[in-house]
Amino acid sequence: MSGLAILLAVFTSSARAQGNYEIQVYGADTVEPKSLMVELHSNFTAEGQKNTIDRVYPTNHQEHETLELTEGLTSWSEVGFYVFTSEQAGHGVQWVGDHIRPRVRVPDSWHWPVGVSLSTEVGYQRAVYSPDTWTWEIRPIVDKTVGRWYFAVNPALERTWHGPDVNQGIGFAPGATFTYDVTKQVNLGLEYYADYCRITSPCGLHDQQQQIFAVTNLNVSPKWEINIGVGVGPTAATDHLIVKGILGRHFDWGHHSAVD
Amino acid sequence: MILTRRRFTRLAGMTSAAMALGRGDGGLRAQMRMPAGQPMPPPAPPIPANAAPADFTLDIAPYVLEASPKHRYPTVAYNGQVPGPLLRMKQGREVTVDIHNRSADTEIVHWHGLFLPVATDGAMEEGSPAIAPGGSTRIAFTPDPAGFRWFHTHTFAGNDMRKGQYTGQHGFLMIERDSEAAIASPARYDREVFLALHDWGGREMPSADGSAMPDYEVATINGKMLGFGEPVKVKQGERVMMHVLNSSPTEVHWVALSGHTFHVVALDGNEVPQPAAVPMLRLGPAERVSAIVEMNAPGVWVLGEVRKHVYSMGMGIVVEYANATGAPKWIQPEDLVWDYAQFAAPAPAGGGTCAEPCVEGAAIEIPLVFDSKFQGHGNPEIWRINGKSYPDTDSPVLQAGKRYRLVMKNLSTDDHPIHLHRHTFEVTNVGGASMRGLHKDVLLVPAGRTSTVEFTANHPGNTLFHCHQQDHMDRGFMMVFRYA
Repeated sequence: MSGLAILLAVFTSSARAQGNYEIQVYGADTVEPKSLMVELHSNFTAEGQKNTIDRVYPTNHQEHETLELTEGLTSWSEVGFYVFTSEQAGHGVQWVGDHIRPRVRVPDSWHWPVGVSLSTEVGYQRAVYSPDTWTWEIRPIVDKTVGRWYFAVNPALERTWHGPDVNQGIGFAPGATFTYDVTKQVNLGLEYYADYCRITSPCGLHDQQQQIFAVTNLNVSPKWEINIGVGVGPTAATDHLIVKGILGRHFDWGHHSAVD
Repeated sequence: MILTRRRFTRLAGMTSAAMALGRGDGGLRAQMRMPAGQPMPPPAPPIPANAAPADFTLDIAPYVLEASPKHRYPTVAYNGQVPGPLLRMKQGREVTVDIHNRSADTEIVHWHGLFLPVATDGAMEEGSPAIAPGGSTRIAFTPDPAGFRWFHTHTFAGNDMRKGQYTGQHGFLMIERDSEAAIASPARYDREVFLALHDWGGREMPSADGSAMPDYEVATINGKMLGFGEPVKVKQGERVMMHVLNSSPTEVHWVALSGHTFHVVALDGNEVPQPAAVPMLRLGPAERVSAIVEMNAPGVWVLGEVRKHVYSMGMGIVVEYANATGAPKWIQPEDLVWDYAQFAAPAPAGGGTCAEPCVEGAAIEIPLVFDSKFQGHGNPEIWRINGKSYPDTDSPVLQAGKRYRLVMKNLSTDDHPIHLHRHTFEVTNVGGASMRGLHKDVLLVPAGRTSTVEFTANHPGNTLFHCHQQDHMDRGFMMVFRYA
């Protein structure tokens, strides 16, 4: 494979996961009805792709700011909306794309031993940031708390609707996390993200995305969500060093009296 | 010897009791909340052969509660009913009670609010004997003081929300004064109604503060969801004494009777210094309120939980006037209103709080700090008194005849229904509001505040002090006062 082909493969794989805009392993819970979760995802690629390939901007030193708005619909459903942006020397602040993400979960009344929800995400991103412009994802989510330990897995499946990978079929891009409550306020853990290319014929390790983040979650208030992490990507197809942060604020906009 | 069926049953009970109590295994010890190293209480003595019939009998046995046709809960109950039977006893007149434990677990019956010796109070932590599965025992006691009391199980539930106070093991106990005292009482009424508030189908759920707390499927009054129990039938012009008990294992409840006002005359069975009219009642777990309702608004009404989400879980009962028809009417209150101070006498000038017969300034202070230890998000906390969890909590030693002031600093974010066994205390301060003359056995101590109660140590013997929330007491929120 020529060097250019390798670079193209690296880039398209990286772009398909869209992971550098929202780097998060989902928990099974949904946002409560009549409330809004506002999150700002700030991700900086400290060491990434340095070349422009096939008119797609390099990821190196890109600063991604993603606004995520999630509205609770019922006690078991929500819908999320994303605005992706990118800032980079020479390109300035650019709008990248938008996604919408409905999600349902197993209601508490079913008394399942693990939390389970199912998310689907559809959206567009500009071709200079992602060669696959229209994509769809379905993401099962399973989580469980055991004492101070928390586990979650997101075996996500992806499909390109428009772009070079439109004929590639279903891609497999799992995520997982396990964390430990050091104190009531401080939680430490690891997050894992991967992209194995086509689920029916996974690509070799060289072409896979593999990322491990060391993260801390700060539980300073039920209204706030703070997640900070540093991730490394050991494979050629992965951005090698990313610093990420999530700042979230929960807004309860329903009218609540003392008797509600 | 001819083995009659009655005697066989009794012997079988004794054998299983001996086996169960003799096991000495950790499971039984945990169920009885007995710390390692502390002697197990003796097994409850069997009913004497040829004993005369007891005054009262309690059968502890499995039972299926039908809160509604769609909500059925296998549980354990007294005498095949929820709530258990209403027991009426005369103050100062000894009674005997036969208790048969036909359940699968070791059981004990606590006589809540009475001044009883340790042997009959019904708390294994104090040393009261327990009744093994299949066992029977007879207890005898002299009821005191008069008033609205209750009886309930006092066992460990832990993570199993089908045990302990999560079951249907609770019943009303009315200790009646002699007739002269009754005539002197200002609380005249035409009839009594007893109502028990309870929650069913509990599960531990993550809470907003990062821990976990019970969450229930349904809430009932007298074991039934709204619309599925017999209505309370009243007549216009009647003065109905409503004795309301919150038997919930963990939940505070607020109830209102649409179209009517409660005239509160007693809290926890003890007359209040200042009877007051209120639009609703608030009851922490184990609290009781006795209130007279003047039936002066003919119709069909709902007495229900004020908070909408609990009301929707079924906590309500229909109150129906004679000859009234139509759908039951519920007027949703818009606020939660309750203040202990409105029923108390004002605190004496100068900041003192001590009421007769105590001597001002003579109370011995016992500082108690309540907090919890984090166990991971979504997990129940461990509760502590002065930094220690039961069975490692301190055991203050009381001198008989002395007066004590419990200064309870609640550092947690929860209100706690604090109960003192075998004694009544005087509430002297709730969250900074001084008062006097309010005698209770349970106080809902507000979160983040300091409250004080005083009591005279006049009932020697081990005395349990605990939060009445089942999940809190199971996770360490208890201590035992000992007498010198």
